[in-house]
Amino acid sequence: MRNGGDNRGRLLLISLIVTSLFLITLDLRGVSVISGLRSGSQSAISPFQSFAATIFRPVGNFFTDVTHLGRTRSEIESLKEANEKLRNSLITRQNADAELKQLKSVLDLAGTAQYKVVSARVISLGSTSSFTQTISIDAGVNMGVRQNMTVISGLGLVGVVKISYPNHALVQLTTDPAFRVGARVAGSQQIGILSGQGTNKAVLQLLDNQTALKVGDVILARGSQNNRPFVPGVPIGAVTSVDNAAGAITQTADVKLYPNFSTLSVVAVVVGAPKTDPRDALVPKGPAPTPVPTVTIYAIPSESPTP
Amino acid sequence: MFARKLLATFPIFLFMFVLQEAVISQFKIFGGGISLFLIFTLLWAALGSPELGAVTGFGAGLLMDLSQTTSSPMGQWTLIMILAGFAISYLGYGDDNFRGNPISLVVIVAVAVPLTRLVYLVIGLMLGGEMGSVLQTFLSLLSSALWSIAIVPLLMPVVTRVHGALFEEQSRG
Repeated sequence: MRNGGDNRGRLLLISLIVTSLFLITLDLRGVSVISGLRSGSQSAISPFQSFAATIFRPVGNFFTDVTHLGRTRSEIESLKEANEKLRNSLITRQNADAELKQLKSVLDLAGTAQYKVVSARVISLGSTSSFTQTISIDAGVNMGVRQNMTVISGLGLVGVVKISYPNHALVQLTTDPAFRVGARVAGSQQIGILSGQGTNKAVLQLLDNQTALKVGDVILARGSQNNRPFVPGVPIGAVTSVDNAAGAITQTADVKLYPNFSTLSVVAVVVGAPKTDPRDALVPKGPAPTPVPTVTIYAIPSESPTP
Repeated sequence: MFARKLLATFPIFLFMFVLQEAVISQFKIFGGGISLFLIFTLLWAALGSPELGAVTGFGAGLLMDLSQTTSSPMGQWTLIMILAGFAISYLGYGDDNFRGNPISLVVIVAVAVPLTRLVYLVIGLMLGGEMGSVLQTFLSLLSSALWSIAIVPLLMPVVTRVHGALFEEQSRG
């Protein structure tokens, strides 16, 4: 009897494993039923996500702020200052203000480059079980958002639309380990490939060694054929360190990505590219130099007194 | 009877899945977030027989595969969760000292969660996925263990009670 139970258990386990392997095979062979299942589940869950985003996003932002406290003294000081200013405002208003600010900056960026964009709210910050870096946005096919469209924030490149559903879309972030984008260095126009690393730093590998990279160089998206998946000229980040190993065929560099991926709440999907490449027009402007007051003193010697 | 009880667990898992996807995913906290659904599933599986653990893992894995944020092929989470559910329930099966000790349950789930994710990562790499920074991966796995240690004691009273109410007669029989 016991053996019978064991055999049934083994048979069940084998059946389940075979079923899962069958599913993997179907998916890898591109059977459309599988993608339809995911699309259906997303359509069912997205209203819950939108509702939860409205309620829990202020709380989520609070947790994010707490996590980032203590990074630098200046950040703490600015946070304290901001906190003082916002203390008298309602929590919902705070959230709306933040979204408005991000929306304004992203529209400024898109306006400068003459990108045609569709703005969207971030409704989910991605998987916590797998190692992918994604976000879900509340704009989809019905708003003109298609697969392989560039997603930007006010600070620069956020990612690319990976899957587009009727009312929502899944965006692969620049930080995703599988993310790759053709990049160029503003100014020198050297080109290379930028790869996500799972953190807010990415690695840039140049395709040649003509000019030396330096810390502070701004990296822009090079753009793709027919502007998909990437439109040209979008700021990606700035070089923080350069690996000039002797004997290396090409240079590599660490690039700090411009957007703050922890606090993304509003992004824009580029649905129409500009007629002309904006080249370096979107390079972030550095801080304006503080004027130093100068005082010129003219000394006129007086005539020496006569005894 | 067993199948009916098993079906009764479906709404519970569906609720936890929606909670994970809609609410927990709103919080970007240390280590990339909390995988409440994974913790809940492994804790649930740890309380049952190996067969029940495997079936639980199958259902939970299927839901995880349906998640829009999963980029791996459909069935990858299912496969891993079947094995994880079976293994975690097999470890303490028939040993009431083990099952009855809350600390051993916390430890086994805290070990199983990062281990399951690590297996997912390895199989993903074998299927052509990307890994990213080793340090970031390590931190993510470590934080998932720490979050499990923090959350399992909170979930345990509810989960053991509901699991007991549904499957006690079955396990006695």
